[in-house]
Amino acid sequence: MRFLSLFVLPFFALPAVAQPDAQWTLMQSTLSYHMSHPMHEVDGTSHAAKGKGTCHEGQCDFLIAAPVKSFDSGDTNRDLHMLETTRGAQFPMVVVRTRFPQADTASTTLYVDLEVQFAGQTAHYQHIPFERTAQGNMVHIVGTIPATCSDFKIDRPSFLTVPIKNEIPVKVDMTWHSN
Amino acid sequence: MIAAPARLALAASVVLYFCPSLPNADAQQSATPSQQQEPVTKPAPAAPAELPNAPAPAPAEPSLSDLGFTQDQTQADPKLQALLKKRTEMLKIHQRLGLITAAPMVAALITGPMAKAKGKNGQPIQEPTQANLDFHAALGGATTALYFSTAYFAIRAPRVPGTHKHGAIRMHEALAFIHGPGMILTPILGIMAYNQESAGEKVHGIASAHGAVAVVTTAAYGASIIAVSWPIHLKFWEK
Repeated sequence: MRFLSLFVLPFFALPAVAQPDAQWTLMQSTLSYHMSHPMHEVDGTSHAAKGKGTCHEGQCDFLIAAPVKSFDSGDTNRDLHMLETTRGAQFPMVVVRTRFPQADTASTTLYVDLEVQFAGQTAHYQHIPFERTAQGNMVHIVGTIPATCSDFKIDRPSFLTVPIKNEIPVKVDMTWHSN
Repeated sequence: MIAAPARLALAASVVLYFCPSLPNADAQQSATPSQQQEPVTKPAPAAPAELPNAPAPAPAEPSLSDLGFTQDQTQADPKLQALLKKRTEMLKIHQRLGLITAAPMVAALITGPMAKAKGKNGQPIQEPTQANLDFHAALGGATTALYFSTAYFAIRAPRVPGTHKHGAIRMHEALAFIHGPGMILTPILGIMAYNQESAGEKVHGIASAHGAVAVVTTAAYGASIIAVSWPIHLKFWEK
């Protein structure tokens, strides 16, 4: 009978330890791209991102989106130029999707593969680290997406005939709430 | 060795674990006759949510429509994209012409003192030479033509509806209220001064303000270029 228990009980016990379905809602966010030019260092920030995550059968799917025009660099002229050069009127949303094992939601560092839709292009970023701190039902996520202009076929804008750097890293600072 | 009932129990538990959706005997017994008569291939008429003890449906992968953005925010606007493209093209020309304009403007400011009449009023003017005067006048003329071409591309660049201007662009535009009138006044005063000097007179009256107005105009113009470039981080030595 003890022998039987050794084999049978784990089969019944496993579903019990499996993580339950969960839904996540983005409560607060700060997304900021950094643009480098020999004469300028510019950060454009958006707080308008919305996001949702669902975890089911051990897999989590997250979706975060923000209107391109919500990024504010502190200068209207620059923002309108950014909107034009990123084809932001034609493709008004920047959309990020990711999928990772639900077990990872408890790690202090999350390594995720991201699919980013922006400027009419889709780029994939593998194994991007995000620092995670939890406080009750709230989870704070911080990380940087190593985006570049060429990833999205964006013609680099120039100022005084000198183009900006190809790298436009996007800092991500988000607070998620688990329902 | 495992006893036969134990083997049966083990097999049953394995089947139940991996195939939890298989109907068990209890469920079959509790089903109504009408349900039992229905063909197996026909989908169940009742949605799972309508059943009192049905499990919650699996959460679907989130989609953009779940996030609550308005249609205005998510819908493509090719007209706006075309407007932005035209605006950018015009402002690029504005920027290039503006930088080109700075060259003859500064040169005119430098040659200004060389075009100034020397000596006392009423006496024959030895300086400037006609060549100096003409060169300065030509630089002034080129500056004026380039300046108003530059201004045209800024003024005629399409406005984007619903945009509230903020940042360095406001200072850039505010300074135009100084160098704009300055660029109207400077050539007029310059022509007056040129005519007076050509007539053998020393520059007098309102025309004598030509130099001062030109200096203020150039300073405002330079400040306008710096304002739109602000804050400047000079680090050309870095890659």
